[in-house]
Amino acid sequence: MFKKKKRHHQVLPAFGLSMGYTLVYLSLIVLIPIAFLFIKAAAISWDDFWSIITDRRVLASFQLTFSTSFMAAFINAIFGTLIAWILAKYQFTGKKIVDAIVDLPFALPTAVAGIALTTLYAPNGWIGRFFEALGIKVAFTPLGIMIALIFIGLPFVVRSVQPVLQELDQQYEEAASTLGANSLQIFMKIILPTIFPAILTGFSLAFARALGEYGSVVFISGNMPLKTEIVPLLIVTKLEQFDYVGAAAVAAVMLVISFILLFLINFWQWRISKKYETV
Amino acid sequence: MLLGEGKMGITIEKVSKNFGEYKAINNVYLEIPSGDFTALLGPSGSGKTTLLRMIAGLENLDSGRILFNDTDYTNKAVKERRVGFVFQHYALFKHMSVFDNIAFGLKVKPRHLRPSKEEIKEKVYDLLKFIQLEHLAERYPSQVSGGQKQRIALARALAVEPDVLLLDEPFGALDAKVRQELRHWLREIHEKLKITTIFVTHDQEEALEMADTIVVMNEGKVVQTGTPEEVYRRPVNEFVYRFLGRVNEVNGRYIRPHEVSLKRAPLGESFPAKVVHVHFIGSTVRIQLTRLDEDILFEAELNEEKYREIGPIAKGEFVYAQFTKLVDFDFQQKVKPLPQKESVL
Amino acid sequence: MNKIKSPYKINRLNFNFEAFRKGGLIGVALAFLALFIVVPLIAVFTEAFSKGAELYFASLMDPDARSAIKLTLLVAAIAVPLNTIFGVIAAYAIAKFQFKGKNFLITLIDIPFAVSPVIAGLVFVLLFGSQGFLGPFLEANNIKIVFAVPGLILATVFVTFPFVVRELIPVMQEQGTDEEQAGRILGANGWQMFFRITLPNIKWGLLYGIILCNARAMGEFGAVSVVSGHIRGLTNTIPLHVEILYNEYQFSAAFAVASILAMLAIVTLFLKSVVEWKTK
Repeated sequence: MFKKKKRHHQVLPAFGLSMGYTLVYLSLIVLIPIAFLFIKAAAISWDDFWSIITDRRVLASFQLTFSTSFMAAFINAIFGTLIAWILAKYQFTGKKIVDAIVDLPFALPTAVAGIALTTLYAPNGWIGRFFEALGIKVAFTPLGIMIALIFIGLPFVVRSVQPVLQELDQQYEEAASTLGANSLQIFMKIILPTIFPAILTGFSLAFARALGEYGSVVFISGNMPLKTEIVPLLIVTKLEQFDYVGAAAVAAVMLVISFILLFLINFWQWRISKKYETV
Repeated sequence: MLLGEGKMGITIEKVSKNFGEYKAINNVYLEIPSGDFTALLGPSGSGKTTLLRMIAGLENLDSGRILFNDTDYTNKAVKERRVGFVFQHYALFKHMSVFDNIAFGLKVKPRHLRPSKEEIKEKVYDLLKFIQLEHLAERYPSQVSGGQKQRIALARALAVEPDVLLLDEPFGALDAKVRQELRHWLREIHEKLKITTIFVTHDQEEALEMADTIVVMNEGKVVQTGTPEEVYRRPVNEFVYRFLGRVNEVNGRYIRPHEVSLKRAPLGESFPAKVVHVHFIGSTVRIQLTRLDEDILFEAELNEEKYREIGPIAKGEFVYAQFTKLVDFDFQQKVKPLPQKESVL
Repeated sequence: MNKIKSPYKINRLNFNFEAFRKGGLIGVALAFLALFIVVPLIAVFTEAFSKGAELYFASLMDPDARSAIKLTLLVAAIAVPLNTIFGVIAAYAIAKFQFKGKNFLITLIDIPFAVSPVIAGLVFVLLFGSQGFLGPFLEANNIKIVFAVPGLILATVFVTFPFVVRELIPVMQEQGTDEEQAGRILGANGWQMFFRITLPNIKWGLLYGIILCNARAMGEFGAVSVVSGHIRGLTNTIPLHVEILYNEYQFSAAFAVASILAMLAIVTLFLKSVVEWKTK
């Protein structure tokens, strides 16, 4: 692996040097530290490991993390696609600013987003008071967690879908209309199938990011065990109680899930890029 | 099998369209009779594709009207026009099989007009048989060749039984050999279906070879309309004359290379010329020469027979050339051979 | 023959429907963006000044705030160059050569994007903490990594690891190797080729990657939170300082310090847009 294919004679220098440096740095910063986490987790006996991760509090936090992440990614898939659509298809004043603002969740530190959202959605906050009037609590409930996760996940969907929509040649829509399709049929049968892989990629990226998110959620969640305690927070709590074994066990499970998602997303994108290469 | 009546003539009345300052279509009037095979011929930017897209309803008009059989279609929605449109790069839906591409127009019909699944299947297979690609029904567009894509695009357009067939540079993206085959094939289809067909091309040879009527366009205007023979033999102006074939310009007058006669010995009003280059292009021989008296470069084309008559010509040899049919557009709009005494020399 | 209903009416109806749909979609999209992104940003500044400008500036001049700012700058000043150098070299190896396992290598590089920042911090605690694998050795030699500045730097390097390289790979792939090969044929040595051909060709992509990497390095919360130990004035970066102030109910001060990070985010977006505009 990572050996240059011999068939092509390559004129460029320093493949060995640059590849060697890449592998060493990657190993030191990423691979070895992560490997030690798995070694730590592997040292736990199976029974202990099982009892740690099937603990009621742990299971509750997994359930909460997955359900809120999924809902947030789903909402982002819909509204992210809509935002990508208006940016790719329409001209309107202020479009450049809107385009730039979409990336704010990438640029704004999560802790800042966290305290801002908490203040807004607290029962006496600018937005929270309207929900309070309706008898709905947002901050310190799973709903609040979802709002934080929508915030951090939105750019993933927009930035996955937007380029595909921009490159979508007008002629396919025109061809469909000369064949008698109405605008709903054009969207459902021509546009949606073309952008669906990108929506799915954006969804998966937003979902994966949401699973591990900490900074923006920790303030708004209220952190009540069994109710609003997300997995990353549970890991921190275990660490603060010097329960390194427990933290490592829970983290190992999360890591495996993250890796599976990462491989699926990369494999998926590789498949798509292959599919559209013409024979 | 494929079409019902399909008798649809098209009238384009005083149509104009600007893109900003640029006059894409400038007051065009055009009548296309029912069942005709018409070529819109012109250089790029002449407005031919814009005009075609207007007929399809893909482009709005700034002014004027478009009539289908005397009915005003100017503001009719694209999907109600019953036009078949073959795009320059085919626009086959990448995520659908060949079968689904051809079936698309049938599947999107309103429910009360939509054929049953069996009828759609039968019709698509009829079309696949017609274009001789039955074996490719389950393939995807990325898995078929350029020429096959072209035929699939045509079958897809025909599936909805259009009254008019519009093709935008239909052979532009194909290599020379496939192009030749498909030209014949398209012409045959037209003979069979008799559907009013309009195609856009910048290739004068293609237009001359295929069309019943050629509409020559330039700078957003129709310059000349006529049969291939009419536009070739009687071009209305210098532009048409130059656009329809190779041209030698002689002091503001013109002659086609194949009308230049070459001789070994002086004869009549001939003049001496030196051979600069000899190209063999299939059965014709194209010879570049310099006039010795005026130092002007010009071209002559000889068919096999004429070339055999004069014998092998090599670079550097001297011959005598004669311009017998110089054309002058300043004095007249129609072309006729000028009296010999007026020709230069 | 012209007995069809006035076509102009149909047209106007269609036109209005199109405009209506466009307006509706833009309206909904902008409302969503305003609610989820713009309002929180405005809230940061409003809350920061809610107790007056005096308190705002006092919060920023507080010694703990100043040491947090210094520490954040220090961490970014080390982490960003490290990952920039790595990014350029790794992207060169990946984009300019064909080798087996390329996709797998790219996936490995993506790991820090996929891992929870909390876990990123945890791995270093497990490695260098007093209970960790190297803990006894480090303690014996009196080296502190976790709950000290080196830990913060390591955690930051980890979470910002893929930014530059992931930005550069597509740019370099698009450039291909023709220009480099031409340079070599014309007699350039390896360094000349790299500094005169490869690097100038990727400068905007590189800048873009550095901007994003820096924003994340200065704003990282989860990973540094785990390794810092929250020692005031010593291991608190700006985001950690915000957390402490917030948890102590000093909301205005928390938002005042947070507003520095919000401004950093705005500057980042602005630079990012400039770079995008330059490369188009």
